[in-house]
Amino acid sequence: MTPRPLNARVVITGIGLVSPLGIGKAEVWEAARQGRSGAGPVTLFDASAHGAQIAFEVTGFDPLTFIDKRAARRMDRSSQLAVAAAGLAIEDAGLVIGADAERIGAVISTGNGGNATYEEAHHTLLTRGPERISPVALPMIICNMAAGHVSMTYGLQGPVSCILTACASSLHAIGEAADMIRRGAADVMLAGGSEAAVTPYAMGALDASRAMSHRNDDPTGASRPFDLNRDGFVLGEAGAVLVLERMDLALARNAPIIAEMSGYGATSDAHHITEPHPEGSEQARAMTRALASGQIDASTVDHINAHATSTVAGDASEVHGIITALGADHAASVAVSATKSMHGHCLGATGALEAALTTLAITHQMVPPTINLTDLDPACEGVDHVRTARAHRIRTALCSGFGFGGHNAVIALEAVTA
Amino acid sequence: MSTRRRVVITGIGIISGHGVGREDVWRNACNGMACTAPITDMELGTSPVTIAAQARDFVVDDFVERRLARRADRVTHFALAAAQLATADAGLTISADGRDTGIILGTGTGGNHVRDENYQTMIERGVDRISPFAIPYSMCNHPPAEVAMLLGLRGPTMAMVTACAAGTDAIGTATAIIRRGDADVMLSGGTDAMITPLWIAGFDAMRVLSHHQNDPATAPRPFDSSRDGFVIGEGAAILVLEEREHAVRRGALILCEVAGYGASADAHHITDPDPSGRSQARAMRAAIADAGIPAHEIDYVNAHGGASRPGDPSEIAAIRAALGEEHAARTAVSATKSMHGHCMGATGAIEGAFTALAVANGIIPPTINLTELDPECVGVDHVIGQARTTTLRAAMSSNNGLGGHNAAIVLLPWGGE
Repeated sequence: MTPRPLNARVVITGIGLVSPLGIGKAEVWEAARQGRSGAGPVTLFDASAHGAQIAFEVTGFDPLTFIDKRAARRMDRSSQLAVAAAGLAIEDAGLVIGADAERIGAVISTGNGGNATYEEAHHTLLTRGPERISPVALPMIICNMAAGHVSMTYGLQGPVSCILTACASSLHAIGEAADMIRRGAADVMLAGGSEAAVTPYAMGALDASRAMSHRNDDPTGASRPFDLNRDGFVLGEAGAVLVLERMDLALARNAPIIAEMSGYGATSDAHHITEPHPEGSEQARAMTRALASGQIDASTVDHINAHATSTVAGDASEVHGIITALGADHAASVAVSATKSMHGHCLGATGALEAALTTLAITHQMVPPTINLTDLDPACEGVDHVRTARAHRIRTALCSGFGFGGHNAVIALEAVTA
Repeated sequence: MSTRRRVVITGIGIISGHGVGREDVWRNACNGMACTAPITDMELGTSPVTIAAQARDFVVDDFVERRLARRADRVTHFALAAAQLATADAGLTISADGRDTGIILGTGTGGNHVRDENYQTMIERGVDRISPFAIPYSMCNHPPAEVAMLLGLRGPTMAMVTACAAGTDAIGTATAIIRRGDADVMLSGGTDAMITPLWIAGFDAMRVLSHHQNDPATAPRPFDSSRDGFVIGEGAAILVLEEREHAVRRGALILCEVAGYGASADAHHITDPDPSGRSQARAMRAAIADAGIPAHEIDYVNAHGGASRPGDPSEIAAIRAALGEEHAARTAVSATKSMHGHCMGATGAIEGAFTALAVANGIIPPTINLTELDPECVGVDHVIGQARTTTLRAAMSSNNGLGGHNAAIVLLPWGGE
C-alpha cells in the first residue's frame, strides 16, 4: 500500500474536556496521571431510594463561563457540557472560525440526550397536563441538540450530526468525522460526545439493567475494572470534544498537532442486547480493522485505553479480544489502562474522553493507570495492566468502545513523526 | 473519481400510513392517498391535537416473535419489519458470518413508548420497578442493534440522530461506508414511532403542529397558503444499499444508484430554518457535486416540505439557489409528507425510498392538499394532486432537521452500466 498523502491524513489539534477529573485538558491529565478518582455520592438529586447512589459528577462547572445566560437556559446540561467542551477544544487548537465555517462540521454524540429535561417534561405532562409543557422542552431533549448547539454557538456550517451507538457512540463519532475529512466533506471536524445522565430516571433505569456497581459505601473504590471484586460500572457525566483536521491544512496554519487519527474499525456482535460476546471476536475484528485502515503494523501498538467498564462479563471478554487481535506474545507487552476507574462510565461521552486521554498519553509518552486494581481477575490476565502512571514509549495507541446492542468501535492513534 | 466504488439500491422495505411493503405503499402514494386521521387508540387527555398519520395496517406479529414484540418498542418493531421486507425485496441472503453487511438507521428519539412507560412506572410505583429493558430497548441504537441480531449483521452498525434529516443522513453515511470498503452491503434508512402523548404535547407547545382537526385528511398542506404545520406520522423505511459489483454478481435487480450525498448546518436557530435557505442549498450542491452531474439534470426533488410557515419558503429558496432559477422552474417538486405525515427520523428514508421508486418507475408521487400555492413557494414545478409519469435523469431527496441539520441525496437511474 502506498502511504497516505497529507491531504488524506487526519490529525488531532485540540482537546476540550469537562469531566469528573476536571475542566480543561491540563487539569484532567494531571488528575489521571496521579490516579485520582472523581467519584462520590450523588449530589445532583436525592438518590436515597436508588440501588446505585454513587456517581462521577462534573463538579465546579459553571455553564455561564462558556455560554451566555439566555442560551444556557435553553440547553439541557448535556448540551451545556458539549458546548463548553467544544469551546475548550477550539481554544486549544487555536482555531479561528471565520470565512471557512462552511468547511467545519461536528459529530457530537450522546447516549440519551437531555435526560433532566425529559424527566421534567414528562412529570409536567403527568401532573399538570399537556398544555403546561414548555415550548423549549422537546428541542432540549432530543439527542442531536448538543451537536446543534455546538454548531450554533461557534458558527459551524459544515456537516453536523450525532451518531448513536450507546457506550461506543463518541468513538464512532470520531471515526466517522475523520472519514468525512478524508472524503472531502469537511476540512475540520469537532468530534466527541456529551452525557448528563445523573438524573433520577436515567440512573434508576440504568441500574435496572443490572450493570451498575452497588458499592455505595466506597464510591472511589467502586469502579474497579479487571479486579476480581468488580461488581458493575459507575455512572459518569462529561463533555469531551476533539478537533480533527486535515493534516496539510493543520501544517499550513501551524496548528499544534497532538497526534494522528489514523485508523477506525466498526463491527457488531449480533449476539445479545446487553452482554458482549464472551470471546470478544468482533471486538477483536474492530481492532484489526482499525489497524488495517490506518495501515499500521500491529507490533507498533504500545498502549490500549480499554473500554473496561468494570462489569464481570465485559472486562474479561475485552482482554480476550485484545489477545485475539494482537496475538498472545505482543498482547502481554501492551500497556493497558482502564481510565473508567478514575472518571467512571460517561456513556455517550466516554469514548471521546478516553480518546482524549489516549491522545494525551501519546503526547506525554506516559500511560495513565487503572486504579483500584488490587486483585487481578485471572480471567483478565494476558496484558500488561498499568496500575500507576508510567513513562512508556507509545508509537501507536488504540482506544476501544463497546455499546449495549453489540456495537464495537476502535480508533488507532499514532504519534506524529512528521 | 472513476475508481470509486459505486453504490446501488436493490431492495426497499417500507411501513407507513400508506401500508406495509413497497408495493402497497407506492401504489397508495401514487394514488395520492391521505393517511391523516383521528387518533383513536390513545388517551390524549386535554391535548388540542388529536390527529396523526398512523401506520394502521401494521401488525407486529407478522414480523416479530411474540416475546420481543411484547418487550420492544414500536420503533424497533417497525425496523425489524422493514428490514425483513427490504432483504426479501432485494432477494438478499446475508453472508454466513455477516461481516460484509452493516446497518445504519436514523431515528428521532428511539423507543419513546418504552421510556415513557417506565418513567411513569417509576413515578407511580417506585424506582425499583423499572424494567431491565428500559434502557436497552429505548435507546436510539436499539432498532439497528436488534436488526443486526435478527439477521446476523456484523459490519458497522449504528444509529444516526439528526432529527428530521436522520433518514437522509443515514443513507448518505451508509453510502460512504460502502465506498470506503468497510462494508459491501448496508441496510440503511430510518424508523420512528413518536405518536405519543408526550411528543404530541411537546411539538404542540412549539406550535409546529397542524390544527386542521375538523378535516384531518387535508391537514398537512405543504406549500399551500393555508398551511399551519405538520402532522406527525410514523413508520420506517429501510433500503438495501449494495456495492455495484456485489449486486451485479448475484444478479440482483438494481433500482437505482445512490450517486451523491451532501450535508450542512444552518448554525442559525434551534427550531427555525435560515430563511435564506443558503445552507440547505449548500447541502444540495454538495450532493450534486458528489454525484458528478450538472445541476440541470436534476429533474425531480422530493422536498422536505414540512408545511411550516417559515420552512417551506426557505426550502424553495434553497432549491432555486442550488439548481439555478431557470432549471428550478422546470424541476418537478413534491412533498409526500402531505400524505404520510412527518415521520421524523424515518421521514428521510421513506422519502428517499419514494425518490428511488420515482427514478426506477418514472412516476412522481404528488403533493396533495395544495390548493392555493403560497406566492412565497413559487419558482418550481409543483406536482399537485396527481402523480406524474415522466423519465427522470436524476432526482434528489432533501431534508432538514431541528437543530439546523440539512442533508440531501442524489439518485440516478440504473442503465445497466
